[in-house]
Amino acid sequence: MTLHKMSLGLATILCLGFPAMAEIDLSGSWAAINHEDSLERGGGPYPADWAGIPFNEAGRAKALSFSQSTISMPERICWFQTQWHIAAGPFSLRMWAVPDPITGKVQAWMIGAWETRAPMTIWMDGRPHPGKNAPHDQTGFTTGVWNGNELIATTTHIKTGYIRRNGAASSDQATITTHFLRHGDLLTVALFMEDPVYLTEPYILTRSYNLSTNPVAIGGPPCIVGDEGVEPGRVPHYLPGKNPYTDEMTKRYGIPEEAEMGGAQTMYPEYRDKIKDKFKLPAKCTLNCGNNAGGN
Amino acid sequence: MKTKLLVLTFAGVSILGVRAYAHHSFASTYLEDQKVTVEADVVQFLYRNPHSFLQLESKDDKGKSITWAVEWGAGGQLGSQGVQRDTLRIGDHVIVQGQPGRDPEAHRLRMINIKRPSDGWTWKGNFD
Repeated sequence: MTLHKMSLGLATILCLGFPAMAEIDLSGSWAAINHEDSLERGGGPYPADWAGIPFNEAGRAKALSFSQSTISMPERICWFQTQWHIAAGPFSLRMWAVPDPITGKVQAWMIGAWETRAPMTIWMDGRPHPGKNAPHDQTGFTTGVWNGNELIATTTHIKTGYIRRNGAASSDQATITTHFLRHGDLLTVALFMEDPVYLTEPYILTRSYNLSTNPVAIGGPPCIVGDEGVEPGRVPHYLPGKNPYTDEMTKRYGIPEEAEMGGAQTMYPEYRDKIKDKFKLPAKCTLNCGNNAGGN
Repeated sequence: MKTKLLVLTFAGVSILGVRAYAHHSFASTYLEDQKVTVEADVVQFLYRNPHSFLQLESKDDKGKSITWAVEWGAGGQLGSQGVQRDTLRIGDHVIVQGQPGRDPEAHRLRMINIKRPSDGWTWKGNFD
């Protein structure tokens, strides 16, 4: 009986020693693991490669109008990406907690900025999101809750941005849900983009990071505008039907153009069966072949 | 030993190399399987993050000036390779080899190598 009471007492002490809701420490420098989808996360994707993006017609049309020179317009060089750039960009993360000065509880989690992405503040104090008519900006407004050991952050009030660095766009009505899952020294971040304007289904990407003792630099502003080859006043774009790169993945890798153009069906494994007769394996891969199989 | 070196190299690239990329997709911006050579004078050197840019001026066949924007590595990355903000000066005559931009109106290159004949200074490498 005495032993039983002692066990109960010990269990009570152990429980009280932890926060009321399960949560874990996410602070630290997290080095991006970029060999997964290395082209997408490294140098960037090819133009008009939108396979796996659940576009609707409006999303596809907007992407087809995009010229990579658009973001070299002087007024856009320092234009911030949305928080989706965590998924679409190659960078590592620096995370820290901001405590409430009175209670010591975590008031917010922060993810440091990059030159082209504002810091992400994940409010943990239960404050509501702004009203539907509140101004939007690239940073958006983010709140978080713990679900066991998983931090779930919801971002609203963003402006239009890119979901892939080749012109696939998200609208200002999009919502980003970001899940942070820590497994020891490994961090998995799963991002869900829901956009009623350009997507028919949620677009989901996961990223992995290793905890690093090498501090990840927080490369926020200032971004420096300079001449990147687009003279002031010119707005690079492609008119409907004039994008010259819609067959690039077909010529380079034998991937059918219908797959390049995206759509929800291209996200699912069974789509490969549907297009298998249209796929032609190139005789030789010459560029970005992966695993040193040729090219670079 | 080779495996250890590979792992260390990969770790280094993972941690240090990540600031090289910015808003551009190189594969979307440049024709990565082509090369062009430009002989021109330095107009400006923007030594910065996330990418540096070198502005060059040359003349076409009719004597008309052409300004080239040559994309290069991040300031920190170039610094570790011996390229400082004062390595190139306005008026330096250089020969640049690079990948041409997909937008022909932009006169843009992604740096592969650069040589300054006056003193033989050269740089070549990959900032990807």
